[in-house]
Parts: sequence; structure tokens; C-alpha cells
Amino acid sequence: MEGQSIIKEHIQWRRQIRKLARADLIKTYSGAALGWAWAVIRPAITIFVYWFAFGMGLREKAGIEGWPFILWLMAGIISWFYIRDMLNSGTMAMRTYKHLITKMKFPVSTIPTFVSLANFTVHLVLVLMVIIIFILFGYWPTLYYLQLPFYMLLMFIFATAWGLFGSVLAAMSKDFANLIKTLTMAFFWLSGIMFPVSEIDIWWAQLIFKLNPITYIVEGYRNCFIHQVWFWEEPAALAVYLAEMLIMILLAVYVYNKMRRDLPDVL
Amino acid sequence: MDDIVIEFKDVTKVYKLYKNDKARLKAVFNKNIKHTKKMAVNKVSFSVKRGEAVAIFGKNGAGKSTLLKMITGVTFSTEGEIRVEGRVSALLELTAGFDPELTGRENIYLKGQIMGISDEEIAELEKGIIDFAAIEEYIDQPVRTYSSGMKARLGFAINSNIRPEILIIDEALSVGDVNFKKKCVEKVNEIIEREGVTLLFVTHSTSVAKEFCSRGMVMRQGNLIFDGDIDSAIERYRQMLDEDREIAKSKKIFTEKKQ
Repeated sequence: MEGQSIIKEHIQWRRQIRKLARADLIKTYSGAALGWAWAVIRPAITIFVYWFAFGMGLREKAGIEGWPFILWLMAGIISWFYIRDMLNSGTMAMRTYKHLITKMKFPVSTIPTFVSLANFTVHLVLVLMVIIIFILFGYWPTLYYLQLPFYMLLMFIFATAWGLFGSVLAAMSKDFANLIKTLTMAFFWLSGIMFPVSEIDIWWAQLIFKLNPITYIVEGYRNCFIHQVWFWEEPAALAVYLAEMLIMILLAVYVYNKMRRDLPDVL
Repeated sequence: MDDIVIEFKDVTKVYKLYKNDKARLKAVFNKNIKHTKKMAVNKVSFSVKRGEAVAIFGKNGAGKSTLLKMITGVTFSTEGEIRVEGRVSALLELTAGFDPELTGRENIYLKGQIMGISDEEIAELEKGIIDFAAIEEYIDQPVRTYSSGMKARLGFAINSNIRPEILIIDEALSVGDVNFKKKCVEKVNEIIEREGVTLLFVTHSTSVAKEFCSRGMVMRQGNLIFDGDIDSAIERYRQMLDEDREIAKSKKIFTEKKQ
């Protein structure tokens, strides 16, 4: 298995990757009248709807794990917006940027990377806003916030590897692209975003949740904002996540190397 | 001046055709999935020296575009060896790889960055490109709002102005009005005359080809059937067209008789 050529392309083209990520952001947001505001409005409305439906209706005013539901929800769902973008625009990366593949010589493996970087930039802004909201509620940053970059890095690597894997397969087959779009909802509800995984009574159901890498990331963000737990205090969960990440990377490298030469012909 | 910049050795390109999307997805993980093969380029060998101007003739589907795509490095050969040296600038299709959502100006920079040109150098070339394309205030509008003629003009302007070492033109000169066409011909001549630029030119128009090119290649159904000086190549190309017309005619008579 060869991953060297992928790494080499990324090092050689690091400047262009940055520029293309910027161009991708400009493209997504600058066309509309409200422009950049959409990057914030969309997640804000999602959070509001979930808070309204679940916070008011189901959880009432009791809060969750001793925290106001809205803050608990925000700390977890913030990573989901990036993951969702990677499941959607990340999976479509090769198709969206097919002009780079079929019309010019281009390091194709970097396409999901700059799409991921663009999405990640939005994520950073959202995290900053969440921190500000926490402060407005009277919760000042703690030392545990320092491990945010750790979870961000884990999430970024996994999602970018997924982007490479998924976008090659989506280029090969529209069915695959549609399948992933359909499964996005399942990924959302089968992770610990909307309720604490520890509250699930059925052991095998809890296991499914815990094996979902999204759960690990969501819980990781909550470790920083809510639970005040260090990542090394949960070594088993970390080991499972790292194993899943490694499998994802190997799959991505395998599929990419196998299909690289066919990509320009099928797009 | 005798060095070879493009070399093809027994290059074959086969397209794999699957029954549907599903079969193609399965084939990623299972190599026993059935597919038919379409031979686009068949054991082609040739070499081009620095500064040469070569015209490639052939009917639609003869494999010309596939050949050019392999030279640009967009598509890969199934078998054989390809060696290309120097900055390749290709006018493969009218849109020339524009991002439709970005403005013309942003596309100039993007294209330059992808070609590995520094921002300062692009800034220097920018005015020349915009003037040449003659799209004026549209330069700051998204490319998706451009007419096909404007896209082609901008594409030609960018590719011919970024100081290519190998310039590939695929039918791009067949668009635009007479004035722009004339401007393009002048520009191409200027580029060729500057030392060291190699030109590959695909066209159906033998008269335009004769203006630039000293050498001609003729392709037919994936095979390179002629490679030599431009006049003989044009003659061979015309002869081939006549032959094909004869065959088509006799086929038609044959089927009519049958009825």
C-alpha cells in the first residue's frame, strides 16, 4: 500500500491547498446577499430548533447533567456541523471539482483536503462563538479547553480521510453519493449528540453508539466544555477511535490508489 | 534545439465501460466484474522536438482528444510510456477548467496558482490577459454568467499569456468572431516564433493548420496512420475522408438494395 505519493502531493502543493480552500469558502458564501452570515445562521437555526423541540418539550427546565440544555447541546452539536459538511460536500468533492480532474493536471488527492480545510475554517469560527456564548452565560474557559485542538485534529484527520475515500467512490457511482446523503440522518441520531450515551439502558444499543466515531468526538468536545475530563482519562475510547481512524485512512489510500487513473475517465 | 519534449512509446488507452453505475462501484472492490473495453488510442509512438508545430487531424472519435489529454497529464495511458517535459498549457475545451462560481479575475489567479506561477507574476500578466480577452467589466462577474464566446476568449487569453513551453490547442480557434480569430492566429504565431515553444494543434480546418504547422499527423480509429510534413498529411487526411465517404456510400447502397 502506498501513501507516499499522497503525502508528497500535499507537501508540494501546500500553498495551492490553502488558496483553493479560500476560494472554496468564497464560492460557498460570497454569492448570497447575507454572505458570510449564512455560515452562522444555518447552525444557529438548527440549534434553536433542537433546543425548542427537545429542551422545552422533553427536558423542560431541569437541564441535563446539571447544565442548561442549550449549552449542553451546543457543546456537542458544534462538531456535528463540520462532520455533516464533510459527509455532504466532502463526499461530493471530486464531483464538484471535476474541472480540476478532467481539464488540467492536478494533484487530485488534495481536493478533499482543501474542501475539508474550508469547512474546518467555518468550524473554528463556530467554536469561537460557542466559547463566547459560554462566557455570556457566566462559564469562563477552563484548563480543559486546552485539549480542544487535540479533538479537532482527531476529527479533522478522520473526516479528511473520509473525504478522500467517499469522494472517489461518489465519483464512481451516484448511488454511493445518494446513500451517504440518506445515511447522514442515521449518523446524527446514532451518536451522542442529542442525549447522553450513558443514559441508554440496553447494553448493545449503547455499544453501537460508542463504536460510532462521531460519538467520541462529540463527547470529546463535551469533555472540554462540560464534563471537565482529560482525554487520557478515557484510554479505551481513544484506542477504539484511533483504530477506526487508521482503518479509514488505509481504506482511503487503497481506494484512491486503485481508482486514481480511472477518475478522469468516469467524471 | 534537438531535444525531445514529448515522447510516446507504444501508448495504448483503453476505456472500461460498465453496464451501469452499480457495476462500476462493485468493480472497485471486485475485479471480476464484467465490462467491455473501448480502444481509444492503439499503440501510438511518436516524438516531438522543442519548437516544433504539429497539427493532428482526424475525425471525431479518432482518439485526438484522448491523445492530447494524455500529454497534458489529465488522463493516464493504459499501456506504454509517455514522457513530457516543460510547462504544458492546454486549450482542451472552451471552458478550459474554469470554476463557474468564481469571477473571471479570480479564475485567472486560480489557474496561475495551479500552474505554479507566483502571485506577483500573475499580477504582471493580469492586464494583458484581460485586455486580450476583451471582456471588460465582466471580468469581475462569475464565469457562469459568461457566454461561451467570452469563456473561450478568456481561456485562450490565459493559456496563451502564461508563457507556456508546450501549447496545446484543441479546436479552440473555431469559436469567436472573425476579429478574435485573427487575433488568436497572430498570438499563436507570436508564441511559436519566440524561441522554444512547442505547439500541438488539433483541428478539422486544414487551412488554419497550414498557417502554423510544418508537421502533420493523421489519426484514424485510435491508430496513427500518418506522420510527416504538413502538405502530405493534409493530402492523406483528405484521402482518408474520401475513402470513408465511399465506404459509407456503398454501405448505404447495400442496405437500400437489401430493402
